[in-house]
Amino acid sequence: MEALSLRDDMSDKSAAAGQNSLQLIAFSIGEQTYGVEITTVREIRAWNGATPLPNTREFVRGVINLRGTIVPIFDLRARFGDGQTAPTKNHVVVVMSVGDKWVGILVDAVSDILTVNRDDIHNVPEGNAIDTELLNGIVTHDNRMVGLIDLHAVVTGAKMDG
Amino acid sequence: MSDLDDFKATYFDECSELLTELEEQFAAIEAGERDADRLNAVFRAIHSIKGGAGAFGFSAMVGFAHAYETLLDYVRDGRVELTDEVVSLCIRANDIVADHVNAAQSGDDLPADYGADEKARFDALARGDSAEDEEGEPIEDFDIEFTPVMVNLDAPASGEAPVADAFEAPPMQAETGSWEIRFTPHRALYARANDPLLLFRELAALGRMQVVARLGEVPPLSDFEPFAVYCSWEITLSAPELSEAAIREVFEFVDGDCDIVIAQAGSAPFAGASFEDSPAVEAAAAAQDEPDLSSLLALTEDEMNGGPLVADLPEPVAPPEDFAPEPEAAPAGAQDAFEEAPALSFTALAEAIQPAPAPQAAKPAMPAAKALPAAGEGDEGHRSVGVQSIRVDLDKVDRVVNMVGELVITQSMLTQQMDETLRARYTELVRGLEVLAQTTRGLQDSVMAIRAQPVKSVFSRMPRLVRELASKTGKKIKLETIGENTEIDKTVIEQLSDPLTHMIRNSADHGIEDPARRLAAGKGETGTIRLSAEQAGGNILIIVEDDGAGINRERVLKLARDKGIVAPEITPTDEQIDQLIFAPGFSTAEAVSDISGRGVGMDVVLSNIKKIGGSVHVRSWTGKGTRMTLRLPLTLAVLDVMLVKVGGGPYVVPLSSIVETMQCSRANFERVPSGGRVLQVRGEYVQVIDLGQRFGLPNAVAAEEQFVVLCETEGSQKVALVVDDIIGQQQVVIKSLEENFERVDGIAGGTILGDGNVALIVDVQGLRSTHIHQNAA
Repeated sequence: MEALSLRDDMSDKSAAAGQNSLQLIAFSIGEQTYGVEITTVREIRAWNGATPLPNTREFVRGVINLRGTIVPIFDLRARFGDGQTAPTKNHVVVVMSVGDKWVGILVDAVSDILTVNRDDIHNVPEGNAIDTELLNGIVTHDNRMVGLIDLHAVVTGAKMDG
Repeated sequence: MSDLDDFKATYFDECSELLTELEEQFAAIEAGERDADRLNAVFRAIHSIKGGAGAFGFSAMVGFAHAYETLLDYVRDGRVELTDEVVSLCIRANDIVADHVNAAQSGDDLPADYGADEKARFDALARGDSAEDEEGEPIEDFDIEFTPVMVNLDAPASGEAPVADAFEAPPMQAETGSWEIRFTPHRALYARANDPLLLFRELAALGRMQVVARLGEVPPLSDFEPFAVYCSWEITLSAPELSEAAIREVFEFVDGDCDIVIAQAGSAPFAGASFEDSPAVEAAAAAQDEPDLSSLLALTEDEMNGGPLVADLPEPVAPPEDFAPEPEAAPAGAQDAFEEAPALSFTALAEAIQPAPAPQAAKPAMPAAKALPAAGEGDEGHRSVGVQSIRVDLDKVDRVVNMVGELVITQSMLTQQMDETLRARYTELVRGLEVLAQTTRGLQDSVMAIRAQPVKSVFSRMPRLVRELASKTGKKIKLETIGENTEIDKTVIEQLSDPLTHMIRNSADHGIEDPARRLAAGKGETGTIRLSAEQAGGNILIIVEDDGAGINRERVLKLARDKGIVAPEITPTDEQIDQLIFAPGFSTAEAVSDISGRGVGMDVVLSNIKKIGGSVHVRSWTGKGTRMTLRLPLTLAVLDVMLVKVGGGPYVVPLSSIVETMQCSRANFERVPSGGRVLQVRGEYVQVIDLGQRFGLPNAVAAEEQFVVLCETEGSQKVALVVDDIIGQQQVVIKSLEENFERVDGIAGGTILGDGNVALIVDVQGLRSTHIHQNAA
């Protein structure tokens, strides 16, 4: 379902990449590689601290100033339930647009730009609770698994009681 | 079509301004200022509304406005006396016009006979013998204002309506009471969008007149400039009771664009001389049934023959038919006279000029046409002289406001980068930065001033509301407004209309008693609602006050208990009972009237006002009245704040809510059974909120080194915030958290500090209510 709508999103955007292929920005959290569609990415910047927001879940690292706009930063590691990242200057914030909002996600490093075939996107196997919720699908690239992040799912449920 | 839509939008904008103006003028007229200026202003406002309505085909509005205008015209020249009855009819008529405008704007249909009664009364007042039939009549002067090209939509018939009537009305007088007027326009008269024809029409309405045109100035064809005025006129006006001022007034718009000599007949014998030195065309009216006007039209038509020149060009500036009013009305004699004048063979003229000069000439004519609305608005001349304005999209202004906000931040960031060594080394740079700081501050103030608007725009809607309420409830209510020129940010003003409406409704419906009860209570029959605005520091106070019965606390409390808003065991203070009227779902009206009493009104007030960072407070005196005070921020974009530190991070508290600050070691804390603390300040016990604890932040400093920030919230309730440190005071630009995230409890928004980092704005009011919530739970 999600994969389908992703395809719709693509149809008018990266025609250069060919009808049936998809370009991803790949980034890593620990040993694992994840990807988001390249057209959603607005900017990649080094971690430079964030102002913490009270009364939010641990995966909300706070907010930053992006040229005069306040943008929330989500800690993807914490979102996957692996505890908060201890960020250094080498950590990276990927700023993306989700719907009409801009959000940043904190990752360990950006590794690559991948071009994958849409037909190669697999569904996420059922049962693995968190991953199923947060991923749109899985592709294999260079014999490695790349999880496609479901951004909408990542940024919801940020409040304490949510 | 989008062009037309644009014009429509502009028209509706202007209508709302004109309607506001009408309200103002009538407020003054009602108060006894019945001078000609006010009447003229009213007349012009209605005329402009009618003109646009005609252009857009809102025929119902045109019909009504025309009848109204006719009455006004009669009032203006004294044929109908401006009695109180007429004034109140006019005020009612304004409301109907406003309804027409609203209906046209929203695309709704009003009942076909809407305002028919009033219209009938206009007609009755405007004399039974006036044979004019307003229905379906095309309307005079569509006032070029709203039309995209310079097309004189001057439709013939109705323009004459008042005029023609004028010829029938006043009995002919002997020549003794006549005036001699010499009207010599400057060359640029047309360029200022003036038309002598209109002046003559207006003069003709004042009395019987004879006009002689002097054509001595008309140059040979080769030098003829089609957009210049070469004629001058001598006018003999028979109107014994007319004052010179009344004639001057006709020429008010062309003041400065012409020379005018006005003299009583006989004292200035220039009239006769003109025939000798110029090939003048005498166009005297011979009989009653062929008024002088037609001959005038003949002249003007020839003047207008500049039109065809332009019309032949690829640029379709003006079809000639539109330019020449009533060609058929021109008597043949006058035409012939022109043909004979050697310099005035217009056919030849057209051929001579056609190729080149006309386009350039046409260009200035366009701005002139555009300039007319401005002139029309400012026409009340002396009052609004020099006030020029442009319409700008609010979006564009907001963009500038945002950018200036960024500039302020960048500037303070630069300043912070300057340490002592840099200062010593680069004195020029330091000086430059100082100038930059000043300029930035100036820029910021100016930008904020653009957004500021007088509250008048909201206040002016209230008199009508009060009138309607008074007539529905059968009460006698007078509205006083004070401080309507107080300026607030536009976004605040927009949010003000609904709350004010509800508050005034509440005062009229629940506050003011009916006349009998007022008399029994020893008060005057007429109740007063006073609406005032004033600036108090960084806030604007809007106060709605009535001299009615006051809040019936017993009933309020009983109702609140019945509805479960107040628990049975709690006994609220009088002040708390008064505030209950803002509780959701609360209504004291015994019968649900169509005015108020649905229990949503005052709740809306509170939520709207809260939304824009304001507060509402109500005080009531039994038998004497109720006062509701809205406290609003001056602007929503820039906030004066105190920067504090909590758990190592910066937070800001709006300065407007801070009462005082003190060190914790010197503060007088007391424990309460629930485990919390209260602070004793000058005999008052205040709830304490430890921000670090509340926000779940680690304690950064020892308790005794902390500070207390005492804040005032809604209804003068105080709350003491405990913070780690106080950094200082500054202005910040408010940024929304919700734009990219969502609302966070206890946080009103964010702002960007000089170092580029985000600081969060503490929502004092919100903290307080969630705190109570938690205590209750």
